Formats: sequence, C-alpha cells, structure tokens
Amino acid sequence: MSGYYTIHDPLIERVLLTEEEIADICVRLGARITEDYRGKDLVLVSLLRGSLVFLADLSRRVELDVKLDFMAISSYGSAETVRIVKDLDEDVSGKHVLVVEDIVDTGLTLHYLLGVLAGRSPASLAVCTLLDRRARRIADVPIVYRGIEIPDVFVVGYGIDLGGRYRNLPYVAVVREEVMG
Amino acid sequence: MVSAPSEHETFDGLPVTDKAARTAFAHPSERVAARILDFYHVRWEYEPTTFPIEWDSRGNVIASFAPDFYLPDYDLYLELTTMSQKLVTKKNRKVRRLKELYPEVKILLLYQKDFKKLLFKFGIPGREMPHEEGGGVAPDEGLGPSEGRMP
Repeated sequence: MSGYYTIHDPLIERVLLTEEEIADICVRLGARITEDYRGKDLVLVSLLRGSLVFLADLSRRVELDVKLDFMAISSYGSAETVRIVKDLDEDVSGKHVLVVEDIVDTGLTLHYLLGVLAGRSPASLAVCTLLDRRARRIADVPIVYRGIEIPDVFVVGYGIDLGGRYRNLPYVAVVREEVMG
Repeated sequence: MVSAPSEHETFDGLPVTDKAARTAFAHPSERVAARILDFYHVRWEYEPTTFPIEWDSRGNVIASFAPDFYLPDYDLYLELTTMSQKLVTKKNRKVRRLKELYPEVKILLLYQKDFKKLLFKFGIPGREMPHEEGGGVAPDEGLGPSEGRMP
C-alpha cells in the first residue's frame, strides 16, 4: 500500500494522475500502437529506470508480438558527458523501434537517445511518452504517442523518482515546490 | 554534434569543459547551463547575437537584447533569467519586443523557478545569491539527492 502511505508524505502536494487515469492512457495508446504496427517487427525500447513501470503496463496493452529492450545512460554528475552504460541486447537494424518514455521535459536525453538509435538503421523510430512537460523544452523531439501534457510541476511516482524514492507509487504525484528550495 | 568535451577544471566538484572554462559568463548559472549542454553534446554559443530592439527618430539603436545562448542544433536562443520574479519585468519587455520584431527567432526564457527546477533535477543545490554578487539563483557546492537525469 505504498500509495496510501505516500499520499501522507509531506513532500507530496497532490495526485496528478490516478491509477485509473494511467490505465486509461495505457489502453488508448496501446490500441493505437497495435493498429499502427500491425504486421511489423516492433521493439519497444525503454530507458532505465524511470520508464520501466510505464513500459510494463503499456506493453501489455499492445496486442502484438513485440520485443522489449532496455538502455541506460550516464546521469549528470556521474560522467563527463552522456554515454550509454547499458546498451540494447537486440540488433534493431531493419526493425521498427518505439522508444517508451515516462516523461519528456527538456528533450535533451531523448534527443541524444534518438540520435544513437537512428544510427543503427531501424526501419522506423518513434516516441511514446506517458507525460509531456513542454514548459522547458529545448530539443524539439517528435512525440507520436502522448499520454498527457502536464503543467510545469515536478512529479514523482509510477517509475519517476526523487533521489531514488517514490518509483513504486501507483500514481503520478506533484512534489511541493518548497522541496526545491 | 561536437566531440566529447575534455576535463579542464572543476567547478563545484564537477568537471567543466574547455569552452565553458574559457568563457567569461556574466553569472554562475550560465556556466552551469553550458556544462549541462556540454554533457548532452549540444553545441552552444554564448551571447553570439545582439538584436536591436529600439531606435531613436534618427534610426540609431538605443536598446538591444543579446540572449545568453544560441543552440545551433535546435536553432534556438536560450535566456536565463535567474533574478527574482519582481525584477524580470524589463527582461520580459525585451523578450516580448524581440518576438514582435523577429518572429522567426525561437527563444526559450527560463525564469528563476525554472532554473531552480533544473538544478534540483540535476542534483545541484541552488542558493540565493546576495545582491552584491549579482543576485538571483546560483548553483551551490556539492550534489543533491537526485540521480540527475534530466528527461
């Protein structure tokens, strides 16, 4: 019952997206993806670790024979520049790749990732994100499948962390502004 | 894409690139922004363009605006406004005028609250700078609690 406990967490201001709303988004996006990729060789690629929860739910709403694969990149402060620390297991050359993201903010991470994947000659490359926060968008990345556009608030839950916490919240919650100083 | 930046010196415990180290930034927040862009291999130019925004009756430029960064990969100007909200009226006016005169120019204005959120997400604690140091928000020493991924 992590949700019950965390809703009383002083860092959490309110629930932004409930479990039911997230489930509806997964059904809606899953149906579109199913339709768009029918008969195609589809690989769902997720960037660890934030997107893992969304990928798990979304992929079960895609009624196709898909493959799941994962990448991880270095985080700011842990390396001089961004680099891949866990690469795909699959060769995606000639396959249709759909990058599944939890949230797109500045777009810098996703832009880097798309550049890497585009260099591997996939048949197609597209992006699906649960949350789209456009207020600070720097890299104008193309999002084909968008769960919901959210306001300029800091969120946690449903895979998104704050210092490693809150990933297992079943909903997306807004963190209080005061937390950021 | 630029080649991977090399370590030159440290700034609040993290390496900075040669270019960021060589550039005379007007505010510490701009150096941090440059380092974040370097981290993602995003090319940047510091104040490369000055846009005239006001002229007198004889056509002399009497006001201009130079956004902090230009990102050629995205054809985007980036302006950091790290001073407190009550002091940004003049900056807002300049940005509004820029958009009127140069509608083709893409510019992203990051206010103090936006920059604080970026620092927070990257795990870089921010601090209020005293007025004599330029005011606004600047990165503080050390790393914060976040993993630092900026989505």
